[in-house]
Amino acid sequence: MPRPGFVLEVDRSTPPILFWRGENFSLEKLPAGRSRVIYPPEPLEALSDIDGAIRNALLNPIDQDPLATQLFPGMKLTIAFDDVSLPLPKMTRPDVRQRVIEAVLDTAAAAGVDDVHIIAALGLHRRMHEYELRHALGDRIYDAFHTRGMLYQHDAEDHDNLTVIGTTDEGEVLEINKRAADSDLVVYVNINSVAMDGGWKSITTGLASYRCLSFHHNPETLQNTKSLMGHRHQSALHTSVWRLGKVLKDHGPKIFQIETTLNTDMFPSPFEFINKREWEWTAKDRATFLGTTKSLNRTPIKLARKIFHGIEGPHQMTSVQAGETEAVHKITLEHVHRQQLMEVHGQTDILTLGIPFVSPYNPDGVMNPILVMCMGLGYLFNMYRNKPLVREGGVVIMTHPCYRDFNPVHHPSYIDFFEQVLSDTTDPAEMSRKWEKQYAEDEWYRHLYRTGNAYHGVHPFYAWYWGAHGLQHAGKVIIVGGDPPTVRRLGFTPASTMDDAFEIASDVVGRSPTITHLHVPALLIADVQ
Amino acid sequence: MKKYAPSRLHSLGQLRRVVKVGDAASGAVRTALRPIRALGFPYRKPMVPKGVVVPADPSKLGANFETGWARSAGAKAARSVVTNGPMRAFVKVVASPQVVGLDRLADLQRLDETPAVIFAPNHHSHVDTPLIITVVPEPWRSTLVVAAAADYFFDTRVKGALAALTLNAFPIDREVTSRKSSDELRKLIDDGWSLVIYPEGGRSPDGWGQEFKGGAAYLANRTGAAVVPVFIDGTGSIYGKGMKRLKRGTTKVVFGSPLRPIEGESTRRFNTRIEAAVAALGDEALTDFWTARKRAAQGNNPKLTGPEYNGWRRQWALAEHRKLGRAGVRRRQNRRWPDLG
Amino acid sequence: MSRLVFSRKPARFALARVAGSIMPGAGASFGPLAVEPDELLPLPTPDWVRLRPRLAGICGSDLAMIDGTASAYFDPLVSYPFTPGHEVVADVLNADGSAGRRVALVPVLSCVTRGIDPLCPACATGQINLCERVAFGHLEPGLQSGFCSDTGGGWSHEMIAHPSQLVDVPADLSDEAAVLIEPTACAAHAAARYTGDETVILGAGTLGLLTLAAITARSTDRRGPIVVTARYAEQKRLAKELGADVVCASDELPRWVRSASKSLMVGDQLTCGARHVIDCVGSTESMQQALQVVAPGGEVQLVGMPSNVSLELTSLWHREVAIRGCYAYSHADFQTAIDIIRHHDLARLLSATYALDDYTDAIAHAASAGRRGAVKIAFDMRGK
Repeated sequence: MPRPGFVLEVDRSTPPILFWRGENFSLEKLPAGRSRVIYPPEPLEALSDIDGAIRNALLNPIDQDPLATQLFPGMKLTIAFDDVSLPLPKMTRPDVRQRVIEAVLDTAAAAGVDDVHIIAALGLHRRMHEYELRHALGDRIYDAFHTRGMLYQHDAEDHDNLTVIGTTDEGEVLEINKRAADSDLVVYVNINSVAMDGGWKSITTGLASYRCLSFHHNPETLQNTKSLMGHRHQSALHTSVWRLGKVLKDHGPKIFQIETTLNTDMFPSPFEFINKREWEWTAKDRATFLGTTKSLNRTPIKLARKIFHGIEGPHQMTSVQAGETEAVHKITLEHVHRQQLMEVHGQTDILTLGIPFVSPYNPDGVMNPILVMCMGLGYLFNMYRNKPLVREGGVVIMTHPCYRDFNPVHHPSYIDFFEQVLSDTTDPAEMSRKWEKQYAEDEWYRHLYRTGNAYHGVHPFYAWYWGAHGLQHAGKVIIVGGDPPTVRRLGFTPASTMDDAFEIASDVVGRSPTITHLHVPALLIADVQ
Repeated sequence: MKKYAPSRLHSLGQLRRVVKVGDAASGAVRTALRPIRALGFPYRKPMVPKGVVVPADPSKLGANFETGWARSAGAKAARSVVTNGPMRAFVKVVASPQVVGLDRLADLQRLDETPAVIFAPNHHSHVDTPLIITVVPEPWRSTLVVAAAADYFFDTRVKGALAALTLNAFPIDREVTSRKSSDELRKLIDDGWSLVIYPEGGRSPDGWGQEFKGGAAYLANRTGAAVVPVFIDGTGSIYGKGMKRLKRGTTKVVFGSPLRPIEGESTRRFNTRIEAAVAALGDEALTDFWTARKRAAQGNNPKLTGPEYNGWRRQWALAEHRKLGRAGVRRRQNRRWPDLG
Repeated sequence: MSRLVFSRKPARFALARVAGSIMPGAGASFGPLAVEPDELLPLPTPDWVRLRPRLAGICGSDLAMIDGTASAYFDPLVSYPFTPGHEVVADVLNADGSAGRRVALVPVLSCVTRGIDPLCPACATGQINLCERVAFGHLEPGLQSGFCSDTGGGWSHEMIAHPSQLVDVPADLSDEAAVLIEPTACAAHAAARYTGDETVILGAGTLGLLTLAAITARSTDRRGPIVVTARYAEQKRLAKELGADVVCASDELPRWVRSASKSLMVGDQLTCGARHVIDCVGSTESMQQALQVVAPGGEVQLVGMPSNVSLELTSLWHREVAIRGCYAYSHADFQTAIDIIRHHDLARLLSATYALDDYTDAIAHAASAGRRGAVKIAFDMRGK
């Protein structure tokens, strides 16, 4: 029986706590008596018959007819799926998306549907490489559909293939992929890694145009998104997305939403120690930890990256539900909460976060400084419900080497963003005013996004906006072990050790602040009371 | 002039001495046995009266070949060396296999205790067995028993022993599955051994497949083990039945999703389902997944048994069929010219 | 009274080259540069005058000479032994030896100074920098004062000059500002080709900063941004102060120019780029980068003195790019330079002065000026 989440009050006999540091780890001693460590709930048991559960979900959908009865010969069927920004790390084959889409295709084959398009709903994310598509969908689907041009990736800049569905009361325009809009049925295959995913967000961001995304991916909305992972009413982003969802429901194509949840069993042998509580480490775990960190210290960064991005997580499906989007998403969230929700009491002065080698925006790529900010203040900071784990004006301390290193294929506009925008301003609102348009309309970025494997030109802004609320909420952000000039460019404070960081933080939070640490892998929703 | 290494028999004197000792020993034995030689039956073999026919001993060959020893730990270790060494190298050189569909076995593989399964491939060539043994994933590979035709593989002791040791072959009668061999196979599955059964009962005589016999379905029905349909493409043109020499080529092995008999399904129906599954995999191997699934839904995947008609048109169609598969992209062969002196 | 003298000593020259390649500026200690007592130079014609230098700057071309990296091209254009120093502010000595008016020197030795009559076509139109008779006439060869054995140079207590070489320094300009007139005139000459479109200035040493200052002081019509590459923090700060729109490291330059010119890329080559690239470095790397970021049909202007460089010129051919030299100035540029210096208060660019006797320190400082947060280093002869 997996244990629920656990909040450890650090005392004098507590061992040092594991922190991610990019492509490595460190053990940090937290001050006794005023620190707490939040251990996420342990991975739930996965479904035993996954394919059976998928078939069952297709046969008995929620608030909709079975998929088979919605399919008919001669129809236009579009299957859209989440890109490889999740799950992280990538799961061992077969991927959930492959299983679900194969089941959908079987149903479609039985119903005699010929016109099937499979579209990667990647929004403004980078186009996936062939090996990534093969990983997500399996070789069979890739080989059968890609050569025929029936498997492709959404293009938010292909204006011939975008169509306006309608406008919300607030003036937001819903513009999505034309093929999806013209379909008799859109089947959306989702993986709900975190609570902000899924629901109407799937199609209204994944298949949307830049114009459509800019209505809610902006500093104002994200600063007002007071809880990205929590209640919808605290999230301006989701309020806007749900408004768009209503337009989609009323004027868009018929949608059959399939949502899946995974457990948090993220690291395979020999990296199990990452998931464990330090005092439960066996001799083997300690040996692995020591061996790993010591050898990683001597490993060239490129090789270390290769090793880490090669990890395939053993996480597996804990639920699958299909049918009407809102009804399905409600159940999905229950399953996400079953795995991730835990209660935490009160805020502290300091929040410490270990930043890993990967974020949703660099699968198989470089964790560049902007993504460090996005991962820390955009994702990990937001892993709460009700109120943040750190008090307003408190200090966020992250650990990451924060090297000035970019993947020029995946993140070309990030390099320019770092050099041009961040050297000018780190304020989301100001950069949005002064710089966003230039990046969004840059022909070169557009070319790389549409034909290469680059994130859209405007994406670094979105990554930065993602942390807008955290940036506003925190009084100071310190990066331990980060390259000083790079950290300063981000507008943060570099520190060489955790003790230095506490020392620096004392300017803001005094000499004996209370501390919360989110233990890795920090996939949880802290319900802060 | 050859030089011999010095030995204890080097000198003639020593040799003489040894001969003497030998003579003495044989003399002693002969002396000791003399009383028994004088004694007749029952100390000696009985004579057979005239007009009486002695019934032959039950044969230890064929389906009765004893193969239990081949599954002992020692034999298993020896086989693992052969399988992962020379056999793998042989298969790679001769058949260059491309393996797809292993992800369909991932769910079973991930279980703490991997269940025994029955692999049911189509059968064109002797190459099929080493090929399948080397491409089946662990943990099944090391616990794989191949059901082999008793009359072909176990007709002599040496051949039988070799087949049992290297392939972990188990003799079955291809005509009538005897009660005994089916019981033993069930026992093997219960003991955790996985099986390779060629449901066609033998290699294809003409390059097209044959009707599936019910062996695999029957065993699955009785033991609850899942049947993994497998399609092997390309071995027929490497070393098909009747070919005199091996031709290097490329092959493709497609694993299908494990099948289990549905509650109350008869062996015959289940067998039909297995045959359809292999046919669908065959279609998938030669076209693609989506085409195969669509045709499978309509029940019109091209039959493994080939077209209904006979004669040259059947052979003609076979050539067309092979062009579609991996065999069609076979490495270019060195053309051999007749030696006219 | 003393002067620095650069003699023709091949062995020393070779030694300087080795030393200079190890440690820039070390050529001063090992090379053919030495302090010698002043000697009274004869006046070539009676209208020549004697000058007493007040401040004399150390220029990049001087450093190249000292470290032995200057091109052999200059050898016939120079006469040994000579006293270096062509960025000079000096007092004209009256006949009685007292100090007269304060002047800046126009060091180019053109037809007029060489007593050549009639003037060559270039000099006839006032383009003395293009003079066709730089090694002829009644003076020894020497393209400027400071490279000629007959005229002496600024790194001394006394030199001679032709009256046509003198520009009066307005009283409101300090010596520190006036010593920058000559390099600023260079910059003004370069800046004359500024078009108002996107412009890139490579390098933010003295020349880079002055060129930037020359452009920003005068042009009102700036359609495209001015992008400056700078290596050191102090250079970056000054470049910003002097009105650059973008100051970046040189490895960031292609990306800045790309986004500023809304360019695409083909391989490493920008499809568009800056219309005007001013290279104030003159190395293979800087020129190659100039070709990378210049727009088709654009111009690369070489302000920094290049030597032997090795370039991939296919893009120059393909994109019809012009590479244009930029040497010195005309008299008019000196008046412009005074305006520019006033406009930007450029005296602050003079970072340090040294006595002649401390010449090794002075040259070491000048050779590592950027790294040490300095811009212009000069000799100060006012003390003695």
